[in-house]
Amino acid sequence: MIGYIESVINGILMGSIYGLTAVGLTLIFGVMKVVNFAHGSILMVGMFAAYWFITLTGFNPYLALVVVVPLLYFFGYYMQKIIIKPIFEAEKHVREPITVIIVTTGIWYVLDNLALLVFGAEFRVAQTSVTGKMVEVAEMYFPLAKMIGAGITLLLGIYLYWFLKHSRMGKAVRATSLDREAATLMGIKQSRIYNIVFGMGCACCGVAACVLVPFYYVYPTVGVPFDIKAFVIVVLGGLGSVPGAILGGIIIGIIETVGAQFMAATWTEMLIYAFFLVVLFVKPSGLFGLRQDY
Amino acid sequence: MNLKKFIVPAMVLAMGTASFSAYAAEKVVKIGNILPLSGPSASVGIQGKQAREMAVDEINKAGGIKSLGGAKIKLLFADSKGDPTTGVTETERFISTEKVSMVTGAWNSSVTYPSTQVAERYGVPFVVPVSVRDTITERGFKNVFRIAAKDSWWTRDQFRFLADMQKEFGVKVKTVAFVYENGDWGTGFAEKWRELAKAAGYKVVLDEPYPSTASDLTPVVLKLKRSNPDVVFMTSNAADAILLTKTMNDLKVNVKAIVTSGGGHADPSYLAAVGKSAEYLFDIVEWETDLNRPGLKETNAKFKKLYGYNLTGEAVDAYASMYLLKDVLERAKSTNPKALQAALASTKLCGGKTGLLAYDCIQFDQTGQNKNASLVIVQVRSGKDGKMERITVWPKNVRRAGYKVVFPQPGK
Amino acid sequence: MKFLSNVQTTHKVFAALVLAVLYALPIFITSPVMLQIFILIFLYAYLTSSWNFVGGFAGVLPLGHSAFVGLGAYTSTLLYLTYNISPWIGMIAGGIVAAAFGLLIGLPTLKLRGAYFALATIAFAEGLRVLVENVEKLGPFEVRGPKGLLINLVGNSFKDFQFLSKVPYYYIILTMLVLVLILTFFMMRSKVGYYLAAGGEEPEAAEALGIKVSKYKLIAMAISCFLTALGGTFYAQLVLYFYPKSIMGLDMSYEIAFIALIGGRSTIMGPVLGAFLLRPVGELTRIYLGDTLPGLHLIIFGLVLIIVMRYQPRGLVEPVSRWLNILFDRIEKRRRA
Repeated sequence: MIGYIESVINGILMGSIYGLTAVGLTLIFGVMKVVNFAHGSILMVGMFAAYWFITLTGFNPYLALVVVVPLLYFFGYYMQKIIIKPIFEAEKHVREPITVIIVTTGIWYVLDNLALLVFGAEFRVAQTSVTGKMVEVAEMYFPLAKMIGAGITLLLGIYLYWFLKHSRMGKAVRATSLDREAATLMGIKQSRIYNIVFGMGCACCGVAACVLVPFYYVYPTVGVPFDIKAFVIVVLGGLGSVPGAILGGIIIGIIETVGAQFMAATWTEMLIYAFFLVVLFVKPSGLFGLRQDY
Repeated sequence: MNLKKFIVPAMVLAMGTASFSAYAAEKVVKIGNILPLSGPSASVGIQGKQAREMAVDEINKAGGIKSLGGAKIKLLFADSKGDPTTGVTETERFISTEKVSMVTGAWNSSVTYPSTQVAERYGVPFVVPVSVRDTITERGFKNVFRIAAKDSWWTRDQFRFLADMQKEFGVKVKTVAFVYENGDWGTGFAEKWRELAKAAGYKVVLDEPYPSTASDLTPVVLKLKRSNPDVVFMTSNAADAILLTKTMNDLKVNVKAIVTSGGGHADPSYLAAVGKSAEYLFDIVEWETDLNRPGLKETNAKFKKLYGYNLTGEAVDAYASMYLLKDVLERAKSTNPKALQAALASTKLCGGKTGLLAYDCIQFDQTGQNKNASLVIVQVRSGKDGKMERITVWPKNVRRAGYKVVFPQPGK
Repeated sequence: MKFLSNVQTTHKVFAALVLAVLYALPIFITSPVMLQIFILIFLYAYLTSSWNFVGGFAGVLPLGHSAFVGLGAYTSTLLYLTYNISPWIGMIAGGIVAAAFGLLIGLPTLKLRGAYFALATIAFAEGLRVLVENVEKLGPFEVRGPKGLLINLVGNSFKDFQFLSKVPYYYIILTMLVLVLILTFFMMRSKVGYYLAAGGEEPEAAEALGIKVSKYKLIAMAISCFLTALGGTFYAQLVLYFYPKSIMGLDMSYEIAFIALIGGRSTIMGPVLGAFLLRPVGELTRIYLGDTLPGLHLIIFGLVLIIVMRYQPRGLVEPVSRWLNILFDRIEKRRRA
C-alpha cells in the first residue's frame, strides 16, 4: 500500500514538472495560435545556461533563475521579432499560420545541432546542494529537488494566472488572444504583444530548465522527450490554458508512475497516448480549453 | 519541375569532382566508415571516429602500407544518424561511388545488420569493430568480420561472473531482475538472460523493458525496489543509464549487485555524470584502462592528450580495427576485394599496436567472428580523489592486483 | 497547379518531355547511389502527394503519416513472411488496412481544427509505434517488436518484389508517382475535389451550403492512407529491413509535411518540387558535411526550412510556375510568329 502512495506522490511531483515544461508552450499557443516545435530546444538552451551558471559559480542552483529566466525571455523576444514575425506578417490572413510550425521546426534543428557542435555529445550532470537529497516520510522517499520544482511550478502558475487576469499587460495579451483585429483596433500593438508572449513562453522554459538541472542530465537533444510530452499535456489541459497545462502534467505524471506499477513501462507510454486520444474525442477542448480553439 | 534541370547537373558535377580528386592524389587506400555522428548515439560514434583517426595517423606517419608502395590509408566517414536506411545508402555510396577497399562500422546493430548485407552483395569486406547482435555474423556471409564479442557471449559471461562471485564469497543469489531499454539491443539481451536465469535456477522477479527516450524513470525504479531482487541486470543507453543510476541511489534500492552491459554504463561521461551513485556497480566491457597489456598506457595517454578522455572499449576496437586493416592490406598486397577477403579470413594478428586488446590475437572463425574476443567485468569505485574509477575484477586472472571485490554491495 | 490547370499544347509538350527524360534517366545514370537518391526523391514525392489528399485538399495538417507507411510495410511483409504471399498482393492488403485505420482515426479527429488535429495525428502515430514495439507475436504473425522485420534476400524476382539492380525500383516508384499525380489531377476536378476545396477554406460556409464536408474529408483521408501504405510496402522492399522507429517514427511524418509545405501544399506539383529540394539538401549536406563537424548538416537543413518559409510561405510552386509561365508565353509567341 505504502508503495502505491509513494508512486502517486512521485507521479504528482514529476507531473507538475512536466506541467511546468508545458506552460510556455500553452502560453504561446493561446495567444499566437502557433504550436512552437522549438519548445524542447529552448528548454535545452535554458538547461545549458543553468548548468553553466551553477557549475561555474557554484551558487545555489535556484539562483540560476535570476540569470536564466531573463536570458531566455530576451532570447524568445528577439527570436519572435527577427525570425517569426516576418513570416507571421506574410500569413496574417490565415487563422493558424502553419508555416510557422515549419519555421519553429527549423529553429529546433538549428539549436539542437548547434548545441552538439558547441558542447559536444557529452552528458553533463550539475552537482548542486540539492542533488540526490531525499526527504523521508514514513519510509517513503521523495527527491527534494522535485519537491522544490513542484513548489516553483505552483508559484509560477499563480503568478501567470494573476498576470493574465489582473495586470494591464495581461489584459492586452488576453484581448489579442481572443480577437486579433479587435485588439488592434483598441490600440494594442499586436506584434509587440507577440514578442512579449513569445519571450514569456521561453522564460517559462527557463524556469523549467532551472528546476530540472539539479536532478536531470543536460545534453543537446535533452528537449526531445519533453517535447512530445508537452504536446500531449497542453491538449489535455486545453491549448492556451495555464492551469490546464499544470493539471494535465500532473495527470500524465500519475498515469506514468501508477500505471508502471501494473504493467511494463513501455505500455504506460501507450496508455498516455490512448488516454490523450480519448480525451480529444470526448472533449476536444481539453480540461480548461476555450471552445473556439478546436 | 524544372528545378531538376539544375539539381541533376549540380549533383553529377559534385559526385564527379569528388571521385576525380581521389585519382589525382597520391596512392591511397580508401576505407569507408559508417558511424552515428549525430543523434542519440553520437557520443559513441564520435569516440569511434577519433580512435580511427588516431590509428590511421600513426599508420600513415609510419610509412603507410609498405607492400603497396607506402600507400596511405584515407578514411571516409559517413553519418548514419543511427538510421538503417541511411546506413544502407552510405554503404552503397562508399562501395560504388567512392570505390573504397573496405568498409567498417556501424556501431548500432540495427544499422550494421542491413549495411553488411549491402557489402555482401557487392563482395566488399565489411569489418565490424563493435555491434553486438549475434545474427550479424550468423547469415553465412563471406565478407563480414566482427572484432567484438557477440551478445550471447556478453550475457553468458555476465552469468558466469555471477556464479563465480557466489562461489568466491559464499553468497547465494536466489532472485534476479531484468531492466532494459526496449530497443533491439536491450530486448536481445533480455531474451538470453531469461534462458540463462532458467538454466541457473534463479527466480526472475521483474522483467521490465522501458522506453529509452523516457523522460523519467522513477516509476521503473519504484517497481524494481518493490520486487526486491538479489541482483539486477541492466542494459541501458547513456541518458537512461544516468537517470536509472541516480534514481536507484536516491530511492535507496538495496540489492546484492547491479550488473550492467556496457553501452551507456561505459560511456565516458557516465561516471562523471552520476558520481558516487554508481559505487559498487559491475559493468561488463571488452576492455578497460587498468588492464595489464603491452602498450596500453602509452596509447591511452596519447589518446587522452588528443581528445581529453580515456579510451573506451568501443574506441579500442575501432583503433584495433585500423591496425587489422593495415595488416590485411600488407598481406593481400592488393586492394582487390577478393584478395582482401581471403587475407581477412586468414588473419592472425597478435601483439604490436593491437597488443592493448584484452586478449592476444585477432583471429576469425568461419562465420567471420573474432573467436578470441573476450570480455572483462569491472567494478566502479570511488578513488582517493573522489573521482570514480573502473577496476577490472573478472576473470580472476586479470583482476587488478591487490583489489578486493565488494560483493554483495553494502546496504544503503 | 496553375500551369497544369489550363493545359495548353506547350504545357503538354513540356510535361511529356520531362517524363521522357525521367524515364530515360537510368540509361545515362548507372551509379546505384545516384539512382538511390532519385528513388528516395520519388518515394518522398509519392508519399507527400498521397499526404496531399488530406493535408492539402482537406485543409488540415496531419503530422503522423508515417503510421500509414508503417502499416503498409508491416502488413505486406508479415503476409509475405508468414504465408509467402507476394508483396504485390500484400501491398493492396496493406492499403486496405491503412485506409481502415485512417477512417477509424479520421472519424473523430477530422472535425478538429488546426493544431488539435495535428497533435492528435502525432499522438496516434506515436501510440501505434509504441504498440508495435510492444507486440512480439500477433496471432500467426511474428511482429518481433522493436527488433523489426528482415526480408531475406532471394535475388531478382518480380513475384517477391526484389531486385538486385536499382533500375526496377526506379521505374516502379516513378510510375507510382506519375499515377498518383494523375489521380490528384482528376480528384481536383471531381465533385469531391471541389467540395474539399470549399470545405478546407471555409468549413462553416460550405456546411451551410449543404455540403457534407466531413464526409468528403473522410473519403480523402481513406484515399490518402491507402496510397501512403502502398509507398510503405515499396519502402520495405527497397531496404528489406525495418523496425518501428525506422518506419513509423515521427521524423518521417515531419519530413513528409515539410516537403509538402516547402513545395506548396494543395497543388499537384508542390510535393514533387519539395522533394526535389529537401531530399538532395538532406542527402548532399550529410554526404559532404556529415563527417566534418557533427550536426552541421542538420543546421543547414534547418536553415533551408527557415529561409524558404521566410521568403516563400506558400511554397516553391508559386515562383516556379510563374517562371514557367513566362517561359511558355515566350515559346508560344515565338511559335505564332
